[in-house]
Amino acid sequence: MQIDETTPNAARSAASGDDRTLGALLAARGVSRRAFLKYSSYLASLLALPASMAPAMAASLAKAQRQSVIWLSFQECTGCTESLTRSLSPTLDDLIFDFISLDYHHTLQAASGHAAEEARMQAMEAHKGKYIVAVDGSVPVKDGGIYSTIAGMSNLDILEETTKDAFAVVAIGSCAAFGGLPLADPNPTGAVPVTELVTDKPVINIPGCPPIPEAMAAVLAHVLTFGILPELDSLGRPKSFYGESVHDRCYRRPFYDRGEFAESFDDEGAKKGWCLYKLGCKGPATSNACATVKWNGGTSFPIEAGHPCLGCSEPGFWDMGGFYRALSVPTGDVARIAAVAAGAGVVAGAAAGALHRATKSAARGKHHTVTVEELEEK
Amino acid sequence: MSANVERAVNAFKEQIDASTAAFFSSCVHCGLCAEACLFYLETGDPKYTPIHKLEPLRRVWWSSYTLFGRLASLIGLAPKVTDDLLKDWKELVYDSCSMCGRCSMVCPVGNDITGMIRKEREGMIAAGHAPDGLKGASSRAIKIGSPMGVTLKAVKAQIGHLEADTGMTIPVNVEGAEYLVLMSSMEIMNYPEYLEAIARIFEAAGASWTIASDAFEATNSGIQIGASDIARELVMRIVAAAERLKVKTVISPECGHAYTALRWEGPNLIGRPFPFKARHILEVLDEFRADGRLQTEGFEEDRLTFHDPCQIVRRGGVIDEPRRLIDMVAKDFVEMDDNGRYNWCCGAGGGVSAIEEAHDLKLTAFLKKKKQLDAVKPEKLMTACANCRIQLEEGMEETGMDIPVIGLTETLAEHLKTPETAKG
Repeated sequence: MQIDETTPNAARSAASGDDRTLGALLAARGVSRRAFLKYSSYLASLLALPASMAPAMAASLAKAQRQSVIWLSFQECTGCTESLTRSLSPTLDDLIFDFISLDYHHTLQAASGHAAEEARMQAMEAHKGKYIVAVDGSVPVKDGGIYSTIAGMSNLDILEETTKDAFAVVAIGSCAAFGGLPLADPNPTGAVPVTELVTDKPVINIPGCPPIPEAMAAVLAHVLTFGILPELDSLGRPKSFYGESVHDRCYRRPFYDRGEFAESFDDEGAKKGWCLYKLGCKGPATSNACATVKWNGGTSFPIEAGHPCLGCSEPGFWDMGGFYRALSVPTGDVARIAAVAAGAGVVAGAAAGALHRATKSAARGKHHTVTVEELEEK
Repeated sequence: MSANVERAVNAFKEQIDASTAAFFSSCVHCGLCAEACLFYLETGDPKYTPIHKLEPLRRVWWSSYTLFGRLASLIGLAPKVTDDLLKDWKELVYDSCSMCGRCSMVCPVGNDITGMIRKEREGMIAAGHAPDGLKGASSRAIKIGSPMGVTLKAVKAQIGHLEADTGMTIPVNVEGAEYLVLMSSMEIMNYPEYLEAIARIFEAAGASWTIASDAFEATNSGIQIGASDIARELVMRIVAAAERLKVKTVISPECGHAYTALRWEGPNLIGRPFPFKARHILEVLDEFRADGRLQTEGFEEDRLTFHDPCQIVRRGGVIDEPRRLIDMVAKDFVEMDDNGRYNWCCGAGGGVSAIEEAHDLKLTAFLKKKKQLDAVKPEKLMTACANCRIQLEEGMEETGMDIPVIGLTETLAEHLKTPETAKG
């Protein structure tokens, strides 16, 4: 996954129309160096990088020219773009768009029609081999890909044309990363994820419906700083965000451990904030940073609002058998097994206790009184 | 196994209870107790890590009270308690532990390490590995009635002086008095102002009190050396006198471990509840204050700080009382950095002051207190324990400091509103 050492900064400096460095841009916009350093520390910590990396990251980002990004939207709902642009306003999305030169994006670009497609072609030409392609949405391949077209071209063709000279591809959202809703049974359009189509370029998956905006910003910062992709897991997701399950970091985990579960959305357990496992929480099978990074600038995350995790960042989450059905139910008679085990525990405990009491009372029986005479002797 | 070691192991087995077992099995080896121990901090020697001081007791717990330990000792693999081990640990269990309880306070899993040291001493003394200084003190306490060898004659002489100087009558063996007042040997020999202060404050408060001729001594060497057999006999003397004189409350003096011995260990040692209340003098004075029976006038002008005696404050919970009392008489009171339940020990509690071999170590330990004092620069140092007072005075003399040390009770007596001024 290593990208050529020479690619990053030189590549980016090439030509985004504005060749000022990011540092100069931020300064012009009145973002103080201190605020920028703080933001860099935030990103570094999200990426699980040592704190000492924050200044290096800040320095590197400040010197970087803006990265050219071509954003392709296929079978999607624009939720991912919404998530990104409505993140920690104003700092996060502002800064993300300062990192990048967004040369083509349906929702955000001013141009339309032929002018829009012209912009894409220009960017591909100007930054050949150096631009990043961000994709949200899955790609329909059934019947020649006719189910989604833009400017007369099928999504399949646009993807192929655009990624040919790209430096890396970032699949944003569960649709692009794993197929998402369009791929759900019966998948009428023959939707496939980006990874199945792009095999000759590094692809980073940032799944989620939508993904956590910080994840995208941090991945971009990592690429800009180090010129290499962050460490990825077997599903192509950055480990720093998707390394642990929602369940493991959930603040309701202690209730799970104690076997305290809400059985319905309005029972005592739900009011007391007990574990939502029995209400279908997919937290145990979902790798994401919701429980730690949280949403809306760190306000909360679904479980904190009283709703089970849907598992939206996992492959095939639509087809996991109902949002409100518990992940798995134990086989066999748990109550009886538990009763027998507890009984055995009581017996073993009583036996150990009796043994200890015997040891102790034997010791008491052998007590040799400490006397003054003896103190004087010894 | 020699007879001595056998006795030690037997005593350890007797002492280990459910909480000891829980403490040992829940220790997470974090080492926080080291940072809480002034003997470790001032010497930097890791052998003074509090939990390490419990190794002999831990070995007996593991080999006698755990499944794997029992199996291991069956095939001879469990680490053994030997006479050499106990000899090596003597310094760790006695010289370098003032039982101040700070380690118990900071332990993140709540292990009462100090309480376990107290238990471990039972085994050490059973094997004869206790310091000579404490053995001597214990034997004098049993035979003469006081660890410093103070006799009833000396007490009577002090009472005589006091009565001649002040014209007051000091009540002795008065049946039916409300309070039984005890003293520590140090107060009888070195700080006679304590008894005078009591006489004046109690007279002003209109409280009836008495001294018992057969139980004037409050200290308990049995607690310090760790021999319950001896501690029990000493506590029983006080209980017998209190029951004979039918007092309602027994007052422990300005002495740290005497309070622990009487109030917390006492009923457990004799195996039944006391028919009277056991209180520290500061608690009684604070009650007087609340009832308006203790009234003062004028203020100490000097910058004052208070050294918390560990057994009274941290182990005893008498934290706010001294501060409320100090507020009555001090204008410029400053707290040291770590105070109240997180105070630092003077360095000589728990019997350390009676151990000759520990002389240099206790003065090294005092350096922690010196740093605290240097930070607030008081003009007077107040405390409520005669043993702390001796150590503070010695430590300051040794390190070239010159801050007078005063007792809280006597300072209150100095500011007592006299009946004449009260009327006027």
